[in-house]
Amino acid sequence: MTEPSIAVLLALVGLPFLGAALVPAVYRVLGERTAYFAASVAAICLALVASLHGTHGTAGVEWVPSLGVALRFHVDGLSLLIGYLATGIGVLILTYSGGYMHGEPSQPKYYAALLAFLGSMLGVAFVADLIALFVFWELTSVSSFVLIGHYRDDPASQYAARKAMLITVAGGLFMLVGFVLLVAVSGDVGPATFALFTADGTGMLQNAAAMRDALSGAGLLVPVLLLLGLGAATKSAQVPFHVWLPNAMEAPTPVSAFLHSATMVKAGVYLVGRFRPLFVPKGAVDLGAGPWSELFVALGLATMTIMAILAVAASDIKELLAYSTASHLGLIVAGFGFAGKLGAETGAFHIFNHAAFKAALFLVAGIVAHEAGTRRIDELGGLAEDLPVTAAVAVVASLGMAGVPPMNGFFSKELLFDAAYHAAEHEGGVTWLLPAVAVFGSVFTFLYSIRFLMLFFGDKPDTLGEVHRPPLAMVAPPVLLGAIVVVVGLVPNLAIDAIVGDAYAASGGKASFSLGYPTSLKPPVLMSIATIALGVVAYQFYGPIRDGIRRLLAVDPLSANTYYDGGVEGLTALGRRTVPVVQSGLVRTYAAWVVGAFAALTLAAYAAAGVSLPGVETVAYDLGVATVSGPTLGSVTPAVAVILALACVAVVAVSRAPSHIAGVLALSIVGFVVAIFYILGSAPDLALTQLVVETLLLLVFLLVLDKLPEFYGGDDRGVIARDAVLSGVVGVTVFLSVVLATAADPPKIAAYFTQEATTVDEAGGHNIVNVVLVDYRALDTLGEISVVAMAAISVVTLIAMRQRGESS
Amino acid sequence: MNDDTTVIARTVTRIVVPIILVTAIALLLRGHNLPGGGFIAGVLTTTAVGLMYVIFGLDYLEEEILHRRPTVDDIRPPIAADYRAMYALGLTTALVSGLVAVAVGAQFLDQGFIYVKSLPGSKAPLPLYDKIEVASALAFDVGVYFVVVGALLTILGVVGAE
Repeated sequence: MTEPSIAVLLALVGLPFLGAALVPAVYRVLGERTAYFAASVAAICLALVASLHGTHGTAGVEWVPSLGVALRFHVDGLSLLIGYLATGIGVLILTYSGGYMHGEPSQPKYYAALLAFLGSMLGVAFVADLIALFVFWELTSVSSFVLIGHYRDDPASQYAARKAMLITVAGGLFMLVGFVLLVAVSGDVGPATFALFTADGTGMLQNAAAMRDALSGAGLLVPVLLLLGLGAATKSAQVPFHVWLPNAMEAPTPVSAFLHSATMVKAGVYLVGRFRPLFVPKGAVDLGAGPWSELFVALGLATMTIMAILAVAASDIKELLAYSTASHLGLIVAGFGFAGKLGAETGAFHIFNHAAFKAALFLVAGIVAHEAGTRRIDELGGLAEDLPVTAAVAVVASLGMAGVPPMNGFFSKELLFDAAYHAAEHEGGVTWLLPAVAVFGSVFTFLYSIRFLMLFFGDKPDTLGEVHRPPLAMVAPPVLLGAIVVVVGLVPNLAIDAIVGDAYAASGGKASFSLGYPTSLKPPVLMSIATIALGVVAYQFYGPIRDGIRRLLAVDPLSANTYYDGGVEGLTALGRRTVPVVQSGLVRTYAAWVVGAFAALTLAAYAAAGVSLPGVETVAYDLGVATVSGPTLGSVTPAVAVILALACVAVVAVSRAPSHIAGVLALSIVGFVVAIFYILGSAPDLALTQLVVETLLLLVFLLVLDKLPEFYGGDDRGVIARDAVLSGVVGVTVFLSVVLATAADPPKIAAYFTQEATTVDEAGGHNIVNVVLVDYRALDTLGEISVVAMAAISVVTLIAMRQRGESS
Repeated sequence: MNDDTTVIARTVTRIVVPIILVTAIALLLRGHNLPGGGFIAGVLTTTAVGLMYVIFGLDYLEEEILHRRPTVDDIRPPIAADYRAMYALGLTTALVSGLVAVAVGAQFLDQGFIYVKSLPGSKAPLPLYDKIEVASALAFDVGVYFVVVGALLTILGVVGAE
């Protein structure tokens, strides 16, 4: 095995993004043929993935070596499998889009988003670092959001885009928490790291056993598993987070085929496969991986069965395919849930098989919708007459989906049956439900597969108008995919030797495996026969079964959508109620919330950190009132006492001022007094700054004085009491902060800068404050002046908006 | 506002504003070794201009000093564009001063300094000053100065014009 080249990996992940950036310019030249530009970008990526074939290992570029931050890539069978799917199906989809998107709106956005998605997906597959993985993961959600919401005038499309975004991104955030916990635990094994794989073998997946022990030791095994599971389940539309996937079918059909069946939703199962070696001990079989097996086998089988049942009730061909996709993703998750070789074989092989037949079926659905003008199952039939080639592909792919030999789906389903049966035989008792549920779910899979197939046969409904022939660009991709379904079905070892075997090894298997047609009536074979037989019988009652499921779904509490819509409505209503309270349009309300939140957060942080107040002596010392030991910062001289007394008087005057002018003047007395205090405290720079700022502030007040409202608070006692409490709390918070901050003995820091070597010899200045500002902390200063400039821009923008009447 | 101010205020402002401006520049230049610096100098300069605004009105600077005619349909004072250019220039100066350090092989925003002890070609010490310190930090400080002046005057001008 050779090491992968970092240049190839960077080019692979970067190229689609570059292509996406170029799309608007290309579109101006090529117009609708931009599809072929995008397809050629994907083809180059496919070639790059192919050039990585046979390599195995980690490569990276250092970024911040002192923090261990690097962009790392890892190449193994699993990442190559996802890479092949993304680029290979990407080429086909982009070619197909050239025909499908003819005359559609905003095509540059469409192609740019598709290419950006391709890059993100390749990123997910190949990065070996948790932070980068998270970033690419969320990027796939963002590009999916843009693509689902492609028809911007369609409310259903907007609803679907928001739903998908909300669910997948929220799941991603849970996953991020899981990642952070993993990084924290990795600190118990070696130096804390974000890396899954590193070249020197310190990545967390390379030390899976030690990591597993550390997780168990910290009691975090189950929490981390659940958090990662949430990320995977939301992305891969597992029960009960599947609700976004059927709505996502609002996207143009090529998007559904690419993102929502073949690739993006595979990111979730990829995550499960990737982390499988971390949670499944070597040598464990069946349900031997404890919580991992319990979680994913249950989740996967439940999803597989429930989604298959929902698919039967679907009334739209894309809806049917969406539920079916979720169902098959459930099969993959269940496969990865089983420990031992059968589980990994199921997962890895079905990722491949499902991508092939499902992408083909979506493209078929796209042709049907495009050429027949409807997607409603009731209105379609007898399409084989007009679409003979498409019908052939549909037959092959549907049978693959149903798991009927000699199509590819047969083998992965057989493997799942085998794994479930094995587990039941080994564990006994209630686990016998596993093979039973697997067969039960598969019967429904068989049912809806045949229903889809029958769209092409039987009588043509009268309502169906003329059906056109699709252009070659739309027919060639599904034909190619259909051919893969048949070939892999006839010779499964072809796919296994090419890539699936390596993916199996990467997700916790040994080296590779091989499959052949069964020669004896083993239990899994009997299960397959039972599935097909039951399916054929049940198909006779398709109508009643479908109506029964629909009646069940009409009961609100049984539909997961009810909970999603209710939750979103609740949150929206809460937001509507909160805004007028927090942002009333009056500056004083905003100020009250801002300072109140500041005080609450600060006090809560002090309480959480359990800080203890320094003794009175220390405080007195820091304030210069008393000397404890060592050099003092200056004791209270009569001058300081007078100044502080003056400040107190001025503060009282502010609160009692009868007019704005008096108030402002009293306030600036406080400011100037503070400046004098600085002078007495030997801080000329601070004093100077305080003086000029105070002057400027006074000037600004004078400018805006006549614009201020006549009266602030009124006589409402409740308001006055509230303001008094707020002021008191803020005062206490600031006082505490000063006391606690000065108790940390700042002279130690100051001592470094007061050394002549630091300021004069090193930085060439005698003014410590200035040297710190422009030299040692110049980056901070740069940030601060950027904020000043931004503030100016915001003021200009706000005022310009008001003049254009955009304020409400 | 022009009519509200007294002769005394106007006369004092006339005399004081140039003094403030010179003081501000002095504070900027000596900042590295004595109390002062870009931020203080910037705020002080703003104060000087602000004083002019309060005493002479917003259009004074535009018409009497810069000799420009304000266009009627322009709601914002045209000088606001100059202020904007000023903080843009300031940010650029600060950034470039940091990038120069990178260009000569140091870290971003690393500062250096040299002492100029004599004029080129002569060995005699500089007249009056004996030697002058040329610090790259000054460039950064000038950037800070321009950002502060530009941004504060933008806010002052735009809010004042309201």
